[in-house]
Amino acid sequence: MNDQLVSMITQLVMEKMEKNTGSQTPEAVVTPIEQPAETLIKFFDTTANRSTEITEPMSTSQESLIKLYQQGVPQQVNPAPATFEQPFNVAVTIKPFQFEATPLTESVQAAKKHTPARIGVGRAGTRPKTKTWLKFRLDHAAAVDAVYGEVSEDLLQKLNVFQVTTKVTDKEEYITRPDLGRRLSDESKALIQQKCKQQPKVQIIISNGLSASAIEENVQDVYLALQQSLSNLNIDIGTTFYIDKGRVALMDEIGELLQAEVIVYLIGERPGLVSAESMSAYLCYKPKIGTVEAERMVISNIHKGGIPPLEAGAYLGTVVQKILHYQASGVDLVAKEG
Amino acid sequence: MKTEKIFSAGIDIGTSTTKMVVSSFLLKNVAGVTHVPRIEIIEKTVLHQSPIIKTPFINKDMIDMKKIEEFIFQQYQLAQIAPTDISTGAIIITGESATKENASEVVHTIADGAGHFLVATAGPDLEAIIAAKGAGTLQQSKNSAKVIANIDIGGGTANMAVMQFGEVIGTCTLHVGGRLIEFKDGKIQSISPPLMRLMEKWSNPLAVGDAAEDVRVSQCIEEMVRTLAMILHGQCTDEEHPLLLGHLPNWHKPVDAIVFSGGVASCIYENECTQRQYDDIGEKLAKMLVQHEQLQSFLWLRPEETARATVTGAGTQTTEISGATIQVDAEVLPLKNVPVFNCHMDATTTDYNITVKTAVERADDLFSIQNHRSPFALYFNELPYLSFRDVHALCEAILQHLATRCSKDIPIIIVIQSDYAKIIGQTIQAINPTVPIICIDQIKVETGDYIDIGEVLPSGVVPVVVKTLAFHSK
Repeated sequence: MNDQLVSMITQLVMEKMEKNTGSQTPEAVVTPIEQPAETLIKFFDTTANRSTEITEPMSTSQESLIKLYQQGVPQQVNPAPATFEQPFNVAVTIKPFQFEATPLTESVQAAKKHTPARIGVGRAGTRPKTKTWLKFRLDHAAAVDAVYGEVSEDLLQKLNVFQVTTKVTDKEEYITRPDLGRRLSDESKALIQQKCKQQPKVQIIISNGLSASAIEENVQDVYLALQQSLSNLNIDIGTTFYIDKGRVALMDEIGELLQAEVIVYLIGERPGLVSAESMSAYLCYKPKIGTVEAERMVISNIHKGGIPPLEAGAYLGTVVQKILHYQASGVDLVAKEG
Repeated sequence: MKTEKIFSAGIDIGTSTTKMVVSSFLLKNVAGVTHVPRIEIIEKTVLHQSPIIKTPFINKDMIDMKKIEEFIFQQYQLAQIAPTDISTGAIIITGESATKENASEVVHTIADGAGHFLVATAGPDLEAIIAAKGAGTLQQSKNSAKVIANIDIGGGTANMAVMQFGEVIGTCTLHVGGRLIEFKDGKIQSISPPLMRLMEKWSNPLAVGDAAEDVRVSQCIEEMVRTLAMILHGQCTDEEHPLLLGHLPNWHKPVDAIVFSGGVASCIYENECTQRQYDDIGEKLAKMLVQHEQLQSFLWLRPEETARATVTGAGTQTTEISGATIQVDAEVLPLKNVPVFNCHMDATTTDYNITVKTAVERADDLFSIQNHRSPFALYFNELPYLSFRDVHALCEAILQHLATRCSKDIPIIIVIQSDYAKIIGQTIQAINPTVPIICIDQIKVETGDYIDIGEVLPSGVVPVVVKTLAFHSK
């Protein structure tokens, strides 16, 4: 079945469902019959059956869920995709599909306020309803897109940052070889040496990591708020740059290269089903190759539905200040703080 | 992980009794290590409950402030807490005591002397809410979908608060209380004015000196309970009803369940009424409530506190903790009795300047007395998602309209419902580094509320007491 056909059928199923929920008619759902031998899908027109629809819902077993033809006697549809498309375009105008809001009880509404989880969604037999299922698929697809997406050139220009790469060559390698994502490519090393301020107090770096959309959505606000926060606190910032396909521990190599006191690393998080746009800020005091994870700190869950990007940026400034004051980060910082 | 302890006091000066509680709150960062901190009160411990004493009066119209102060300091000693250790809490003056000549003087004097950050407050609606919180009814309403009414019946008034899903949806107060008729030596010693008005329609009203056993006393009580039942059933529409104090019920859902608290309630739930040794109609009123037919259709629930509900509420339920990422000028704190004005803004708002300007002008109209500009808090309830540029525009607008008038006495006070205080406070500071600013978030208030903001705690948060006069219904 080609994709176009699938999407068209989905559209029709939705419209049919919408109509039915509107009129509250009990319905017998019939899955379009697939006959792989000859035809892809058979559709029956239901004009003749229409009068029995309401009074005898159980007798509609012949009624297909999808009506392709509004008029005429029952007939079999020509299975050829070309002829299939034509009448469809005539009969139904395409509009973006939207589910109607399901009325929820007050208790469910009250409970939903406390969680982004998919609660109170109902069920169809032992399975989720179509709406729930599609939403789930959509969120899953968004997560996949986030991993495979790229940060736009536009954004990098707006932020006025240059781009470097790691030893990773493509996405597949990025996913399967985390070690390569922790090392800069040779050209990049040279570029950083040449362009960046040495021994900065704070070095900010950005990478798409596992979610390009996280960077696309949040980095600007976090970065601007962080800059403002550091400038209020009179803390100097080095030359910010963007790393394509970086891993968190890449900050160690950059720390050695630039001798930064604190590195703030804004990176896209592994996407989940609640949000594919969540970003993290990793911080470390004088990271170098061999730095243990316990010395790193992270502020995670930065996105519109989590910690607001602006507030996160403003807060990061005070964390940097604290790291500089105690000259430590992570577990060491907690110990020194007492 | 580290915790922090603060002390809170609650004092309730009621129509017939006065009591006090001292409690400690444990504050802790409840957010995960990878999150921006969120400080919450994780534990409340009542350290000391005072005995319930009779409210001392100099005469019919004057509360004996000296005696109350003595009582309070004696209780601090018993609790082994110095008044200076108290960082939050509330003193409230309730029922008929609130109508005495020196009521306001009493609460304010005590609030200033009895602890760093005790707030003076009164008003029947707030009383009802505090009692419902202290009785545990608000908490109970979170666990079911039922609409629950908490009826706090003390000596002088019955304060009703109706709630659902942990939110107060309405209040109402009646002149129904145990001390509205007092006896002495088997005779009526006094009848309160609202009851006199109630009996005006009667051909043969009760009078001082009549026998305590007179049937008309029972008739009076019956009338009080009947009015209460009508109010709860939403059947009372007479705004001029002699027993009504203030407004008619303002909730819009039928009440499912009822809980009684207050002094009279201790006679309802506990079989013996030994705690209450007052020669008045309290016990009879409790009996009538239990028996009355029209109250039987409700589900009866039990409170956690009866006589001490209001004071427990005042001592343990009035304090909120601000968000952890805030911007405050520590020198101007604490601030007391700051009125709140809601500056409404939504996703369609494009011109922040005009919105802020209008809000400031209207707030000035409301709160300034004869061109004397008093401080107020600008509250943003539903800020849409803001970008960095939006925040700058908003902060420019705030500064333009508020910076000129501000001083150490009148800082810019901004309260935000969602998590934006740090960035907004910081941006204001970036534009104008000298202006004193208090910018806090994650506090829910409304126009007409008053807030007190306490001194900064070591964890960087501030305790806030919201004195709700209106409430949050949908």
